[in-house]
Amino acid sequence: MSAWDIIVSEAPRFFTWWNLRFLALALGNTLLASVAGCAIGYAAGFALAMLRLPQLVGFAGLRVAAIFWVEIFRRIPFLVLLLLVFFLSQFARLEAPLWAVAVTAVALRMSALAAENIRAGLETVRPTQWEAALTMNIPALTALRRIILPQSWRVILPPSIVHVLSMVKETSLVSQIGFIEITFAAKMLTQRGFSALLTYGTALVLYFCVSWALASLGHWAERRLTLRPAPLTP
Amino acid sequence: MTLQYGQIIQYLPDFLIGALMALWIAGLAFAAGLVIGLFCAAALTYGAWPLRAVVTAYVRFFTYTPQLVQVFFLFFALPEAGITLSPVAAVLIGMTLNAGAYLTEIERAGFVSVPQAELDAAETLGFSRLQVIWYVIAPHVVRALYPALSSHYIIMTLGTSMAAIFGVEELTGRALNANAISFRSVEIFSVVAVLYILLTIIASTLLWCLGRWLFRVKARVF
Repeated sequence: MSAWDIIVSEAPRFFTWWNLRFLALALGNTLLASVAGCAIGYAAGFALAMLRLPQLVGFAGLRVAAIFWVEIFRRIPFLVLLLLVFFLSQFARLEAPLWAVAVTAVALRMSALAAENIRAGLETVRPTQWEAALTMNIPALTALRRIILPQSWRVILPPSIVHVLSMVKETSLVSQIGFIEITFAAKMLTQRGFSALLTYGTALVLYFCVSWALASLGHWAERRLTLRPAPLTP
Repeated sequence: MTLQYGQIIQYLPDFLIGALMALWIAGLAFAAGLVIGLFCAAALTYGAWPLRAVVTAYVRFFTYTPQLVQVFFLFFALPEAGITLSPVAAVLIGMTLNAGAYLTEIERAGFVSVPQAELDAAETLGFSRLQVIWYVIAPHVVRALYPALSSHYIIMTLGTSMAAIFGVEELTGRALNANAISFRSVEIFSVVAVLYILLTIIASTLLWCLGRWLFRVKARVF
């Protein structure tokens, strides 16, 4: 039987209400792990980027610690990081649910990538603006909030959407600890006897649609935010 | 329960061979992907529209779906169509196609970086086509692309850990084997994480030196 015959003969049995509902739940879990993980990771990455600002943090030791954090979590493969978090939570007897393990691993990896992105964004604002603000006795945090961030968020936002996209793809590795996201759902359906052509093919199509939507959003944000002249050019 | 690192020292030589294997798998896929990327980037820059559409679809498909699921598809679905691949072959083919898609995007930037004036100057001086490629185009392309290419090689080295899921015995695969024997999970995976960090730092430093000596480019180490 050729590949096409297999797909045609199995499709009515595969695309039933229950299977589609199961896949939709799995898609929801993929989005939950990647979006929640990225949100937490971006919050942590923002804190790390702030630690690296000499205007804000006078102690060089903290800056070095932030650099080490970024370099360490950027260089561990996601699968190894995930297994490490998984086994550490067992070792500490936290009895963490699988989604928490997945979100933690995504957040740790994201914190390193986000810190780099935010730092690059903050550096697009000229240092003279920092100097002017500090000379006028504006507190450093206020200067960051009222002067630097309003100019740099439009540089930070578009790559962050691309980061969510890459995390949607990376969370396919979370199937290895048994969290039911798209890849694990495809695996379960294959083990229930459906053709792997159909199950993994459907998984690929689902990932493609999500990624396409995110990439289009990213392009739109980039066009919208960066091509227009910034209102506050020095 | 305490951490006992003493018990896993015996696995270290095994892990080091695995680390070399990770570099080797990434190197093979990278080299093949570089060739695919070269042809696709040339097609995108100079090709007719049907060719461009095909290449764009290829790049989109592979950059928008996870590498793991692509290899799952190659490994589990292709046998139903009569093509059976070994785990190493499936991982290598998957990583190569994936690398080809990303490297197409990177290499396309290189084609744009050659100034037309220098091509005209070379033509005026009577350079042959090979001389133009070697003395004018290649230096520009290499210098523009080297940093992005070397950091993509590092990303691919980290990506090889995915091969462990298919039973390929690279660093992560060997860690899973050692874990199945000794159950010292936290110790093993923390050591493996440190090994990956050292491995990529050494690899990016070597690539930096190579770029510095061969092409006088500055690539990013940290």
